[in-house]
Amino acid sequence: MPPLLQIRNLKTWFPITSGVFSRTVGHVRAVDGVSFDIAPGETVGLVGESGCGKTTLGRTVLGLEPRKSGEILLGGIPLWPTRHQETLPLRRRVQMIFQDPYSSLNPRMTIQEIVTEGLLQQRLIRPRERGNAATRLLQEVGMEPSVLHRYPHEFSGGQRQRISIARAIAVRPELVICDEAVSALDVSVRAQVLNLLIDLRASHNLAYLFISHDLGVIRHIASRVVVMYLGVVVETGSSSEVLDSPAHPYSRALISAVPVPFSESRKRTILKGDAPSSSHPPSGCRFRSRCPLALPECAARVPVLEPITPGSARQVACIRKDEILDTSQHAKALLQGVFQ
Amino acid sequence: MNTLLDIRNLGITFDTDEGPLKAVDNVSFSIRQGEVVGLVGESGCGKSVTALGLLRLIPMPPGRLTSGEVFFEGRDLLRLPTDELRSIRGRRISVIFQEPMSALSPLHRVGAQLVETLQLHLPIDTRAAWMTSVDWLKRVGLPDPEAQMRAYPYQLSGGMLQRVMIAMALMLEPALIIADEPTTALDVTIQAQVLELLREMKSKDTSLLLITHDLGVVWELCDRIVVMYASRVIEEGPRRDLFEKPAHPYTRALLDSVLSLSGRADRLSTIEGQVPSPLAYPAGCRFAPRCPHAFARCHQEQPPLYTLSTDRHSACFLCDKHPIAQPS
Repeated sequence: MPPLLQIRNLKTWFPITSGVFSRTVGHVRAVDGVSFDIAPGETVGLVGESGCGKTTLGRTVLGLEPRKSGEILLGGIPLWPTRHQETLPLRRRVQMIFQDPYSSLNPRMTIQEIVTEGLLQQRLIRPRERGNAATRLLQEVGMEPSVLHRYPHEFSGGQRQRISIARAIAVRPELVICDEAVSALDVSVRAQVLNLLIDLRASHNLAYLFISHDLGVIRHIASRVVVMYLGVVVETGSSSEVLDSPAHPYSRALISAVPVPFSESRKRTILKGDAPSSSHPPSGCRFRSRCPLALPECAARVPVLEPITPGSARQVACIRKDEILDTSQHAKALLQGVFQ
Repeated sequence: MNTLLDIRNLGITFDTDEGPLKAVDNVSFSIRQGEVVGLVGESGCGKSVTALGLLRLIPMPPGRLTSGEVFFEGRDLLRLPTDELRSIRGRRISVIFQEPMSALSPLHRVGAQLVETLQLHLPIDTRAAWMTSVDWLKRVGLPDPEAQMRAYPYQLSGGMLQRVMIAMALMLEPALIIADEPTTALDVTIQAQVLELLREMKSKDTSLLLITHDLGVVWELCDRIVVMYASRVIEEGPRRDLFEKPAHPYTRALLDSVLSLSGRADRLSTIEGQVPSPLAYPAGCRFAPRCPHAFARCHQEQPPLYTLSTDRHSACFLCDKHPIAQPS
């Protein structure tokens, strides 16, 4: 099956300006050469810490941020900028659910207006069909149709996120970008919304680009994971492979840092310091300044994202990946000192 | 171990346009010397209001104290004259807030704020206070502490600021530290650093009240856990016991909704429905409308806090055969 979404060497840079003439003095390299695919119906989890570029990547795919270079293809059609007439049908195919359910719904629109706006814009329904369409959508996301004429402020965070989901699926998209869609919710509500997303994925054959810093959420919803650090992909593979035996030192540190109840031994890598600024990333490997396994060579060359074995879908950008994945005694001894 | 802080029947109500809002309703628990107690619950359950209320940091009005006593080192904090309370705040009980960026003054250098804290409570000259501050920044693992002292808060990252806050909280060697979601605003790798620091810094004499919604953090750091739901304490117990044998259906459901990193279920277990609004709590048990085990009595009466064993309490009629907890 050909991929639904193809991202090829995508770069999104933001200029840093200074002085009265707003001269560009540098760039924040928020996304700096990212490539991956999403198959129809597949859920790809995009993980990383704040500032790693995961949100910018999602927004660039949607055309909300201008890209500097690279390609985004949706079903083979290059995205953004496209001519105005071509934009509308493409917008129907990709939708987004935002993190903050409080700021992503227009407070002056009723629930019916919010969930049917896209349908009208796309001329998929006539104005008089609004009520029926909205009723059907609310039922799909598990809400009572009696709330149609209410306003967003009357709803809790979890309910609002259901409304956002109804709005996103209204136009029958093929890809939904979920940017931290459940991060603002309490645990009991989070599980409800995740279950809803899982059900809708099956009933609508949706593909998700699921952006989250929460690895537990990713584990449950995504079949494949892309780990980003400072604008680049450091590791990708199936969620079970990456989360159970991470091959990149950053993925290892990230996963070990998550506090998990009932875990007995704490084998934890504590990274030193903060992530560097993406306007001045370190030379060579961007993670080397915090990496417990860094070698002098790491400063000299940029590690390439390559399959761990030829043809494997599991890709890692680290020159020491073979040592890390090596299960022999020698390799274990090497890692023991660092990955306590 | 001696009891350091004893909260008895604390009640705080906010008068709102829509009527009185019971944010804390009859909350009792205690903290012993050197103990780490986790106060757990979802947003809006009253955990932060409890913690701020015991230091009288809740503005009144609109807040109103409806009941209770808070005994700390033999004195009732809720009835102490303001000047005496001030000598306790910061000195004997210090607070680490969730948002370090808004807890520090943006207009003053980090060093000035640390020095001020010391001089407010101790007879110490500026030079000595400066040296002490540098020393504490070093102890919390801040790189280049001399330079950080001269920096403004906006020049530091969230993780670094939280270290400054921790240094500020520890520097007067208080008997109790209240940490309100100290790592929620931080990335996981930075959270790991801060948790490690809190663990190292926690000495035998200092107790910690950790307010959080993250059960992973609680598991890592706490000795004992108090669970709140809809303004009330619904369960209390030692960490392992409570995690392994939760007695209240809400605690059980909360633990079930934790997502593990290994293995996955096709469907996540959820708690149906929503937390009731504090303006309109149900008459009986507040969890009853969402509880899979609820029966007629749950909808009519509020369950008292039953004592299951020493240190182990649960407010559920399923525990009815046990004696009712008395505020100690």
